Amino acid sequence: MNAAIQTNIARLQIMKAKVLAALRKGENYELKTELNSEYRERRKEAVRRVIANMTVGKDVSGLFTDVLKNMHTDDLEIKKLIYLYLINYAKTQPDLVILAINTFVKDAEDSNPLIRALAIRTMGCLHVQEVLDYLCDPLSKCLKDANPYVRKTAVMCVAKVFDLSAKIAEDNGFVDAVRAALSDSNTMVVSNAVSALVEMNDMAPQHNVWKLESQSVSKLLTAVNECVEWGQIAILEALADYTPKDEKEAENVCERVLPRLQHANGSVVLTTVRLLLKYESFVRRADLLTRFSKKMVPPLVTLLSSESEIQYVALRNINIILQRHPRLLSKEIRVFFCRYNDPIYVKYEKLDILVRICSERNTETLLNELKEYAKEVDVDFVHRAIMAISRLAIRYESAAKKSMAALTELVETKVDHVVQDVVVAVAEILRHYPGKFEDVVPTLCEYMDYVSEPRAKASLIWALGEYSEQVKNINNVLTSFVESFMEEEDATVHLAIINSAVKYFVKQPQKGQALVLKALKTATEKCANPDVRDRAYIYWRLMSADPNAARAVVLAQKPPMEPESADLSPALLNELVSDLGCVSSVLQIPERLFIYKNTEKAGIPLKSGGMMGQVQPGDSDDGVSGSPAAGDGGMVGGMDTTNGGEPELLISF
Amino acid sequence: MSVNRAPIIQKHWCDDLSIKRASLVIAPAFTRYLRSVPSLEHADPIWTAPQDRVCVHIQRNEIIYMGLVSTEVPPLEVIELLEGVSQAITEYIGQVSELTIKENFTTIYQLLSEMVDSGKAVTTDTSVLRGLVPVPSLVNRVFENVSGIGIVPERRPDVNTSSTPWRAQGIRHTNNEFFVDVVERIDAIVGTNGAIVSYDVSGDIECKSWLSGMPDMLLSLSNPQAMDDVAFHPCVRLNKWDSEKKIAFIPPDGPFKLASFHASTENLEKALPLYVHATTSVKEMDNTIEFNVEAGQCNGRPVENVSLRVPLPAQAYNIRVQCKVGAHTVSNTRSPQVEWTIKTLKLTDRTVRLVIQYYVRPGGPAGAGTGRSSPASSSPLPMVKSSGVSAAFIGFEVPGFSASSVKVDSLKVLRESYKIYKGVRYVTKSGTFQLRF
Repeated sequence: MNAAIQTNIARLQIMKAKVLAALRKGENYELKTELNSEYRERRKEAVRRVIANMTVGKDVSGLFTDVLKNMHTDDLEIKKLIYLYLINYAKTQPDLVILAINTFVKDAEDSNPLIRALAIRTMGCLHVQEVLDYLCDPLSKCLKDANPYVRKTAVMCVAKVFDLSAKIAEDNGFVDAVRAALSDSNTMVVSNAVSALVEMNDMAPQHNVWKLESQSVSKLLTAVNECVEWGQIAILEALADYTPKDEKEAENVCERVLPRLQHANGSVVLTTVRLLLKYESFVRRADLLTRFSKKMVPPLVTLLSSESEIQYVALRNINIILQRHPRLLSKEIRVFFCRYNDPIYVKYEKLDILVRICSERNTETLLNELKEYAKEVDVDFVHRAIMAISRLAIRYESAAKKSMAALTELVETKVDHVVQDVVVAVAEILRHYPGKFEDVVPTLCEYMDYVSEPRAKASLIWALGEYSEQVKNINNVLTSFVESFMEEEDATVHLAIINSAVKYFVKQPQKGQALVLKALKTATEKCANPDVRDRAYIYWRLMSADPNAARAVVLAQKPPMEPESADLSPALLNELVSDLGCVSSVLQIPERLFIYKNTEKAGIPLKSGGMMGQVQPGDSDDGVSGSPAAGDGGMVGGMDTTNGGEPELLISF
Repeated sequence: MSVNRAPIIQKHWCDDLSIKRASLVIAPAFTRYLRSVPSLEHADPIWTAPQDRVCVHIQRNEIIYMGLVSTEVPPLEVIELLEGVSQAITEYIGQVSELTIKENFTTIYQLLSEMVDSGKAVTTDTSVLRGLVPVPSLVNRVFENVSGIGIVPERRPDVNTSSTPWRAQGIRHTNNEFFVDVVERIDAIVGTNGAIVSYDVSGDIECKSWLSGMPDMLLSLSNPQAMDDVAFHPCVRLNKWDSEKKIAFIPPDGPFKLASFHASTENLEKALPLYVHATTSVKEMDNTIEFNVEAGQCNGRPVENVSLRVPLPAQAYNIRVQCKVGAHTVSNTRSPQVEWTIKTLKLTDRTVRLVIQYYVRPGGPAGAGTGRSSPASSSPLPMVKSSGVSAAFIGFEVPGFSASSVKVDSLKVLRESYKIYKGVRYVTKSGTFQLRF
């Protein structure tokens, strides 16, 4: 019965596939007639449909010659679409593309500058060696074109030629032409020339294509104030990578780029900030430096009222800037206050910066703020807020008392996760200020029943052992912990119980004897963890060998705790400041660690066929992505990841 | 990508096999990543993808725009570019959805290839793009399909390479009009005790220009020092601003944003158009929040479109709302929330009141269904005192009021002799106005 149904289904599926195939064939056939239609509009519609089919992954390569016939047209839209078709099939059928070359060459001399530019751009995009020979003539003409739009497109095209063959680009003088374009009258051409040169420099194995010379700097400075925002970014980046030859030049560059801080595009602003920070080391005049940093503040603050994605990037970068200039934004602490509806990634960054920029004067404002955060719903955020309170207390002694008060207030809410975090935070502060705030320990004991997480329990037990004098019924409390020793699972709690019991015994030998014996006995006899057992043995032997020595060891003066530092190492910081605004500064890891320059990009041709099969699952860093399926063999072969319930790519250019 | 995290469309500018191959791996990996986070707002905008690539994404109107970065570039540049792409697409095809993208993909393709050339952003200015790619019009399409003959485009797409790339030559309008809108937003946090925790005013000067020829405009403000940080449209000549604090510019045609600014809060009176006071009380399982709202002083202007949004904890049930003025809605899509709206509120009006009452299911967010956990059944867990509600969001609009006291003094047109009709409007809105309690 079942088998019959299954054969039926299988038969149906075969039929369906056949019908679909016939339909597709029919469609291609129909398109072919349409493409050859005598009516212009029908041909136009047919081209549109061909492209639509191509982008959803149907094979329309069979229509190549028919599509090509339509290339001679004045209609810009059709031309663009056919060029798209060519780009798509150039890789697989380079010999067919040669058929189109004539039209390209003709188009490159068209009277309409748009068409000239389009032809040059597309020829570059084809990325086929065979086209190169035909490209040289039109390209050198377009580089000298009267129309700046054509010139700027041609300049970009040189970079593409360079990628295919550096030799051809050099021999035909294209690279020189781009260098000359730096003094073009049109700013668009200048900025494109800068990007093309930077790109070619990256591609060349020795990185010797271009170096910004000081005579070009002034030209770029003029261009930067006039060209479009994207051009400005390219020029600013090139300037930021340039090393000024003397103090005067550095001052001049900084002065001239200052107005860029008023740009609406956040990236322009951030690149300018990067440039200013980089040039700072060359400027010695103090008044200029203060003026620069003053000018930096308002735009950075404004970035924080943009979309949350921009805020995130800005915050990550501000975090780095602040490690260089800790006092830069101390007046603006309020703009970093978290809003209830900020995305969680923005809140974390803001919290980190708040603690960083907080000065002794505004600790109280910040403490009130942190207390509010601790009442929010998100558990992780609350955890970070409470930890921020303890960080604050450890950094400023004057704030410690108020921090303690705030924490005590929070523990009274009895909210489960808040209590856990508060106990840990209080223990941190107690550890940092030995002998102070001991009166908080009895308060903590009142909330002992709420303490459930191992790290909180360990902290509480530590505090009990350290300040046993403060707690009235300490014996009972510790005994109850010792009795429940085996119910605990976490080794940190076990160790804390042993430590506190020993401490209590050393302080009050009469009262604590029974307790400590019981604790050590349970630990050595029943505990499975070797660390816990060993610790218990050490204490036992120490105490039986020499009680005074035990006393000296257990109650020894502990070295003061260093404030936990969230700072980056100076070397990394320097590297990140020079890459400010870039991906590495957001991820806070240097560029070399997340991007390995592809060797094939540096001039060695890509062995495309062989590479496909060789992709090893280990090549990609799956651990970071948290995507279990990415590494399990589905990727070998390089292509086969879209199945298995993954959405299919609908349209791809 | 659509909001269900499935890719719709992708485009490569660098014709490099290794990148194409990588994208086949990364697109699904990124999809998986987005599905692994609890909600989209938990996804870091910058994410390290497999194969040493970095994904930068933004979310606008149900569509996720993702850019893939393989070398060191400023992510802000990518975000701004994606923002520009999203704006351009919206302008070209209107409502952006999976369906409209599929319908208009030839236009989008043309746009994308004009906006970016071999991995470098070229332009995102829609007035420039309009010159390069014709805006698809329904009429055009229908006419073409019906008659089979296309309307010959009136103006051939052309590039503008003059010194004012944002404005084409030879624009003609029968009525010459220029409108200025000063839109300001107040971002504020009001603390538990009613004190203002943070207060921030930012604004935009938005213009609509329908002027013929090449007008040169000069806009002077009565109180320019109130603006702390100003970012201008590229058409503004910055040296004039630096020397005289006047805005000189040749406007683009149509609507554009002339400047956005941030008001200096130092010598600004921190006046809120609305004063809201909240009190909460808890009786066993019954929570009550009471709000008292009063209009503030804004030059005697009434406050319009007042709204108060209160997100309630996920365990809240049996929500009751009382108010004499305005309308309220209780929604329960993801977690319950109450929204209260009032059309207008004048300074002379008496204080208006909203009371929200609700029960909280014991047992935390994982609490069982309503039927089983009645408030009477005492739970063994410790009573959670904090109800989980700690904020309300307030919205308002005050037409004719400028919180930063920035005013347009005069607007002059030089170089053109025709008469123009000018209009200036002010409005102050709420940005993120949050009340803590």
